Amino acid sequence: MAYVPATTLNILRFSKLSRLMSMYPSHFAEPNLNKITDRKSASHIPVKAATNDLSDSIFYGELKNKLIKYITKKGNRNLAKELLNETFETIKRTQIERLNLNKGDKTSVIINSEQLLINAIENSRPLLQLSAIKRGGVKYQVPVPVTEKKSYFLAMKWLLDAAREKDRKVHLPEKLAWEILDAACGQGRVVKKKDDLHRQCESNRAYAHYRWS
Amino acid sequence: MKMFRKQFGNLSRVSTHLSRNVLAARVAYRDVEMSTNAAPAEDVTSPPAVNEFRTGVTNPGDHSDVQVGKFYTIPLEEKKQIFSGGGLTKKYEQQIKTFTEACIMVRSPALELLHYIKNADLSKPVVRYVLYGDNGVGKTLSMAHVLHYGALNDFLLVHVPWAPNWMKRPKESANSATQEGFIDLPFDAAAWLIHFKTQNSKLLERLQLKTSKEYVWSKRESTPAGASLIELVEHGIARIKYASETTAALISELKQLATAGQCKIMVAIDGYNAFFHPVTRIFSDNKQRVTPDRITLTQPFLDITNYDWTNGVCILSVDKIAMTEGYMDSYLPRYLLGKEGFEHLDPFVPVHVGNYTEKEFVSYINYYLDRNWITKTQPGFEEQLKFMSNMNPYTLMQLVRSL
Amino acid sequence: MTTNLVRLLECNIRNSKATVAQRTMRVFSSQQEQSSVEDDEEFRVLNLRTIKQQARRRVIKKDAVPPPRTTHMPVDQDWSAVWSGPRSFHPASVPLPLRQGYTERGAAAPSKYANAELMKIPNFLHLTPPAIRQQCEAIKKFCTPWPKGLESEATWKAIFPVEVITTDYCHSLPTIRHPEARRVTITLNLVDLKFDAHAKDKFLRLVGERYNQETGVLTFTADRCPTRKQNYDYALYLLTACYHESFVTEPWEASKSEADMEVYLFERNKAKLSAEAILNWNVNGEKQAPSATYAESVEKLINEGENEYNIAKYKEEVLKMLKIAN
Repeated sequence: MAYVPATTLNILRFSKLSRLMSMYPSHFAEPNLNKITDRKSASHIPVKAATNDLSDSIFYGELKNKLIKYITKKGNRNLAKELLNETFETIKRTQIERLNLNKGDKTSVIINSEQLLINAIENSRPLLQLSAIKRGGVKYQVPVPVTEKKSYFLAMKWLLDAAREKDRKVHLPEKLAWEILDAACGQGRVVKKKDDLHRQCESNRAYAHYRWS
Repeated sequence: MKMFRKQFGNLSRVSTHLSRNVLAARVAYRDVEMSTNAAPAEDVTSPPAVNEFRTGVTNPGDHSDVQVGKFYTIPLEEKKQIFSGGGLTKKYEQQIKTFTEACIMVRSPALELLHYIKNADLSKPVVRYVLYGDNGVGKTLSMAHVLHYGALNDFLLVHVPWAPNWMKRPKESANSATQEGFIDLPFDAAAWLIHFKTQNSKLLERLQLKTSKEYVWSKRESTPAGASLIELVEHGIARIKYASETTAALISELKQLATAGQCKIMVAIDGYNAFFHPVTRIFSDNKQRVTPDRITLTQPFLDITNYDWTNGVCILSVDKIAMTEGYMDSYLPRYLLGKEGFEHLDPFVPVHVGNYTEKEFVSYINYYLDRNWITKTQPGFEEQLKFMSNMNPYTLMQLVRSL
Repeated sequence: MTTNLVRLLECNIRNSKATVAQRTMRVFSSQQEQSSVEDDEEFRVLNLRTIKQQARRRVIKKDAVPPPRTTHMPVDQDWSAVWSGPRSFHPASVPLPLRQGYTERGAAAPSKYANAELMKIPNFLHLTPPAIRQQCEAIKKFCTPWPKGLESEATWKAIFPVEVITTDYCHSLPTIRHPEARRVTITLNLVDLKFDAHAKDKFLRLVGERYNQETGVLTFTADRCPTRKQNYDYALYLLTACYHESFVTEPWEASKSEADMEVYLFERNKAKLSAEAILNWNVNGEKQAPSATYAESVEKLINEGENEYNIAKYKEEVLKMLKIAN
């Protein structure tokens, strides 16, 4: 693979920890999309109710679903879906054209746009963040680790922000497709933004102890 | 202190990760440099392999039931000649560009039409074939298939890619100079003349067709009797002001020539029912909407779809989306044509275009897989697609685009 | 004093339900009263301030509620005598353990006594089968026997196609007239009238709204005359006049244009002209006419409306007519 390998492919579970205010006790299992093979043992495990956007159709992806929610404005989810579909179409078009240029060498080009989206998000996830902490009347920018869930949020937010910052004539799907393609190969504005943040964190490492003292 | 160490350890791990990631990103960057900035590929022209969803028979005249559900490739040159001015839908053009080949599936409505045309007695008055069917079912592409046949078999093509464009979004409208109360669409007429010229220039040169009478456009301009048709067309393109009249003249000439047996004509009009829509979006001088019969472009095309000439075929399609809101309840021809249109066309041969059959559907999915257009192939994805699209071609195309 | 006592006694006697104990008590009290009267005569109290003697509050005497009538109803009583006409529910007269109404969950519904729910709903206790039978028996002497040969509905509908509907009103007003009673409605099925094509079309245009397209029923309603007899005559006159008028062909009817046609006719339309023109293209000799099946398919397509079947039929006929290889 020519691109940065995604750190984990199993990113679909954002957090293994059970939430404190959850209505389900901690021993409840997450709803599973896969067909149950061992019916006997499965019947003894209580399962959380599935959310209403969970589906086992081919159009479903957990990360994709999350991104659709972030794209949505004023509850117009249908439009958001349409936009993401168009994004994926554009990505696929460019990748297929690239593939044709490479004389059909499938190993060098990823066509699966959802895979590309996952790669892009993985590449633009931050590990640290700066947070302002006041010590002795001075505010220090203190590097703080980001939780896994927030890192995904930030990655998608940055991608979207980058896509929304565009000319009026360019459509969001088009720009988003470019950003995703760029980020999936570890370049572009979003990855640069992440790297900048990391660099800043690195330079502020001296303040790290302010987090707890 | 212990806590501090723990945090510190955490941080250092993070920093190593950072550097690794940057390195990896750089490597990737170099790799990608080579493959970005790609222009759409045009050079992949190696003949595709013949397999269960493709056929090597590229001449639509040779298609038979054996090839139903299979794709045949239109050579790029012929595609450019026939469809450069329209004739394929926008989405399909995009697909052709991405797939680097112009493939059309051989389907039964087109085959049926070809069968009729091949066995038609051309000395009889023209037969009007009307393609009808629900939205997105492949009427235009069936027509394209037949057009390809016509272009290869020395038919002069009189092809209107999408008639409602004239009624709904004309480039410019002007009062007609010759006919009182009529409206000219000079730019659209000129565009159509260019389309006619690109489609038929080779054949026109070969046939050497001449005009039968003198056309006087103005005091200084005229086309003498005996001038070639190409001259007539070129005059219309050059003098956009007279394009509408040139169109009318050209079509009446063509009718006469065909009846005299000098050429064969294939008339193909997509969205034909737009000519019988109650109103258009064009406004006249007194700020009232004009009816389609008050547009000068309408008359020649209504005239050529009449039955009073020979040596030709008419392939028309009626479409729900050629109408406007309130007139889109049914896709059946009598409803869409209205009383007037039905009387104009009667007796015509209705040809129904339907959704994919099982075989066509499987073939289409295989084609998409071959062209790498479907990348998600979980078990049972065909079933889901079949269920969600109801095997409607356009819906399938829309569903598949994000997969 | 004695009169007082006598009245009391009388009252007691009249009240047959009063018990012996009551009676003795009353007597005892009257004796006491008598003695007090004697005392009054001995000590008369000077009433200086003339205080008004408080008027004794009159005790309203109520008759004791008798036990419900249902308790001593014989099992084989004549029910129609108990409940002879429509009447709102009365618990003491209905020997049924009825319950009706909403209560808390789990509790039984309220019983029939003082139950407004039972009184609100209409009851049909006066329409028991024996009561109906009895009333039928009673009015039998006013009826004539059912005519022979009209046993089934089909037969009498065939012989008497016209149905006359009138309404009689019965009410307790000084006048016995009701304005609605004069209204006469006659109905009949259109299929019972014999028409030719022209007459039928004209008849339908004449009757207009009075014909129901879905059921095929003609309805004439007359209420413009003061009596029922006149209205009935008028309705029959209307029917007769419309029927006979529909057979008259006026000279101006020849100018009926295509827009006035009630159905599409192949003969009258452009379809025929174009079909003939195509069939007889470049033919000088004998003219050929389009086939009847083609004409029928066009007519069906237009008159019955479009559907896949009609379109397919039309296509088949066109292919046959134009001799296109199929």
